[in-house]
Amino acid sequence: MNELLAGFAVALTPANLMWGLVGTTLGTAVGVLPGIGPALTVALLLPITYGLDPTAALIMFAGIYYGAMYGGSTTSILLNTPGESATIVTALDGHQMARNGRGGAALATAAIGSFVAGTLATVALTITAPLMVKLALAFGSAEYFALMVLAFVMVTTMLGESRLKGWLSLLLGLTLGFIGIDGLSGRARFTFGIPYLLDGIDPVIVAIGLFAIGETLWVASRGPLIDDVLPVRGSLMMTAEEWRRSWKPWLRGTVIGFPLGALPAGGAELPTLMSYAIEKRLSRRPHEFGRGAIEAVAGPEAANNASAAGTLVPLLTLGLPTTATAAVLLAAFQQFGLQPGPLLFEQESALVWGVIASLYIGNAMLLVLNLPLVGLWVKLLSIPRPWLYGGILVVASLGAFSVHRSAGDLVVMAVIGIIGFLLRMIGAPVAPVMIGLILGPAAEQHLRRALSISQGDWTVFVTHPLSASLLAVAAAIVGWGILRRPRTGLESSHEVK
Amino acid sequence: MRIAVGILVLLLGPALAHAHPPWQDATENRTLVITAPAAPGGGWDQTARAIQRVLVEIEPGVSVQVDNVPGAAGTIGLSRFIQSERGNPGALMVTGLVMVSGVIINGSPVSLADTTPIALLTGEYEVIVVPASSRFRSLADLIDAFKKDPGSVSWGGGSAGGTDDLLVRLLAEQIGLPASSVNYIAFAGGGAALAAVLGGQLSAAVSGYAEFAGQIAAGQLRVLAISSATRVGGIDAPTLRESGVALDLANWRAIVAPPGLSDAEQEALTARITKVATSPQWRSTLARNGWADQFLTGPPLRQFLLSEQSRIEDVLRRLSAAETRSPATLSLTLTPASLPNAVAAIFLGTLALTLFRITRQSPVVERQGLRMTGAIVAALLILPMVFVTIGFVASSTLIFAIAATALRARQLSARTIAIDLFVGAAFSMALFLLFTRGLGVTLPGFL
Repeated sequence: MNELLAGFAVALTPANLMWGLVGTTLGTAVGVLPGIGPALTVALLLPITYGLDPTAALIMFAGIYYGAMYGGSTTSILLNTPGESATIVTALDGHQMARNGRGGAALATAAIGSFVAGTLATVALTITAPLMVKLALAFGSAEYFALMVLAFVMVTTMLGESRLKGWLSLLLGLTLGFIGIDGLSGRARFTFGIPYLLDGIDPVIVAIGLFAIGETLWVASRGPLIDDVLPVRGSLMMTAEEWRRSWKPWLRGTVIGFPLGALPAGGAELPTLMSYAIEKRLSRRPHEFGRGAIEAVAGPEAANNASAAGTLVPLLTLGLPTTATAAVLLAAFQQFGLQPGPLLFEQESALVWGVIASLYIGNAMLLVLNLPLVGLWVKLLSIPRPWLYGGILVVASLGAFSVHRSAGDLVVMAVIGIIGFLLRMIGAPVAPVMIGLILGPAAEQHLRRALSISQGDWTVFVTHPLSASLLAVAAAIVGWGILRRPRTGLESSHEVK
Repeated sequence: MRIAVGILVLLLGPALAHAHPPWQDATENRTLVITAPAAPGGGWDQTARAIQRVLVEIEPGVSVQVDNVPGAAGTIGLSRFIQSERGNPGALMVTGLVMVSGVIINGSPVSLADTTPIALLTGEYEVIVVPASSRFRSLADLIDAFKKDPGSVSWGGGSAGGTDDLLVRLLAEQIGLPASSVNYIAFAGGGAALAAVLGGQLSAAVSGYAEFAGQIAAGQLRVLAISSATRVGGIDAPTLRESGVALDLANWRAIVAPPGLSDAEQEALTARITKVATSPQWRSTLARNGWADQFLTGPPLRQFLLSEQSRIEDVLRRLSAAETRSPATLSLTLTPASLPNAVAAIFLGTLALTLFRITRQSPVVERQGLRMTGAIVAALLILPMVFVTIGFVASSTLIFAIAATALRARQLSARTIAIDLFVGAAFSMALFLLFTRGLGVTLPGFL
């Protein structure tokens, strides 16, 4: 508690408040704009924040992450094009509400629900993070390896329309991750004698290629663009009836979103889908779902914001990213020489708690940014799409170049972009590539470290109770995935970004 | 995958190799460019920037730039420095111990011997630590256990071939064990090894003193030995020599000039760096960073470099000879290549299976869409080649216009192309000004 108060002292300094506001504003903007997500935005900003105080930069990045969760709903409701994979579900009924003239109420329940869930989930983060830190100190290499295996299994089983394609993406990321000098032996691997490849493929460049370039190519391949932005009609005030129908889904969304976000299950897609399904089952008017039921906006919107806070638990306490954005945030920490994990809470207490405190402040800022100012964000949607995507390509190449000031990075960005496009074409999810690229080398190093420490004894993974149970869960998920029928239902993984 | 990447890189090789940014040229004597062969933030970068700060203070009117060329333990920066700065008296490069081993490990065709050494500047000493609860009370305890069963003692530290790794290998050879008997576990750095040593998973950890200073002061770690020749003030630890191991090692950093300089040019550079290293500003820099002063120039410097080169080369050579001589005894032993090859093979298998399934479905992409995508792909592949030659604004305007034109498809006319070009130019120019003037990022351009 004292630590959180000290965190507020850090987050409330004028400079940090300003960076928080910059982050939340930028985040809302990229959430609103189709084609750019928080992962890409943070990646683009990484090179220019190098000279910044790490606390300020991370407060800004956290603001971008939360902001994108808010902004995405606007696009889903008014344009029926989710700006974010997390808001695919919102588009279903949110857009219908807008067509029925209740667009204002849909935006309001999304924003207020996001605020309620974001704040409650941040409280949950505040409480669970110190507990996780205590647990994480008991983690050795064997446990970390088991945890990462679990993450790989979950990310491939939960995301996308087919497990085969999930594995394809993950294995691609893992293979790319092996390129470069092996940290344990100093040997070069998969470098084909090219000095450029000795340092490996930078995850930031991959994020830019996969998300910005891949998405632009994908949009281009679908033919000429036709836009249909609905004007905000109807008052932003919700009726008493709408409040009554919204508050329970907000709370249920929070309860679903936070733990699922904290699990390595690949982000907000699963919690929003689950929230939708549960609201539909509990509703007395399930026939309204798909035709503009407010519960179907309130629940999933709450769930996606709660899952964003949940994602921060494994990221901060274990250094384990569970979404593409978290993977880029991890790269941001590492840029400043910080290694998220239990020791971070001890060594950089002011920074960690400052960032957590900034999340409370950021949520309040976002409520203001998104409700009264929603008209402003809608204007962003009137940028002609050809210019929007042209601009994305320019900003992407600028970002990729300034990481190392190397033209070689532009080649990698283009190649990864083409791969990202091909993955979208065959309907494979893109996020597992990032997870594999970032966690793959870490998992391999933990595996080999655990074996070095045990002098080659493979039983360490089952004799340590923690690693044994993690591996058992992973095995159970694989087994369940094989027995279960092929998945049906919402298959919007093309929009994953 | 391997072949595809290989072919692609062969095709695009010239763009990758286009290394030296042509917008920087420093032949005037008032202008110095210091290459830091590492990313911003590391020890070499800090050293280069410290020299830059002091030089600008003591030589008013001089312009000093730091050029970061990261990669492969500095060997990418080294080969670029030797190739493109030959004979340039306005070029300097920071280097250090890790580059000596990096050259050997990466099989670099050029080495430090190809440069003109100017001065040895600083050094950081290594400490060997154990958790406070460890049964090892002294270095002698640890060495006893190490001699009895080398594999049972796990050492943690920074990356393979780095100073931490070298210290343990040299220590092993010094007490009569083969360097290859060390059970060394590499982490991203000393700080990353900290959690493992505090958690009791490692027997001992090795790193620069600064990495562990906080935990040592808090009593969580015990220092068994420091790698300096004599005791260091403020650090309560015996030297290796006091504990009967005839070894000292510092993570030293030096500054070198390119090959092909005249004697007069060499002397002028040495004089300038000597002025820096004897200035009060430099003293306070050393104190602030906890760097030991190891200033050395001329013949003693050459001697020092030769002896470091030979002892590191020797230990690494014996190490790699031992590794190739005893191949994995058990099939379950992981080698650095086994996991990557396995994963890549499974990936290719999955790819083949996916492609097989997809070809049985009908394609969904329309031809017009593919043409648009193709245009943008072509623009993206040309971009790296023109980015540094025609500048950021021109290349960005082009890619903006190509993408916008491709996406317009039906409503295309000369007028829309002109408008797209104009908007792209305005946008690129605004970004260029924002980044170069406002945020201090250097971009290729002619403004």
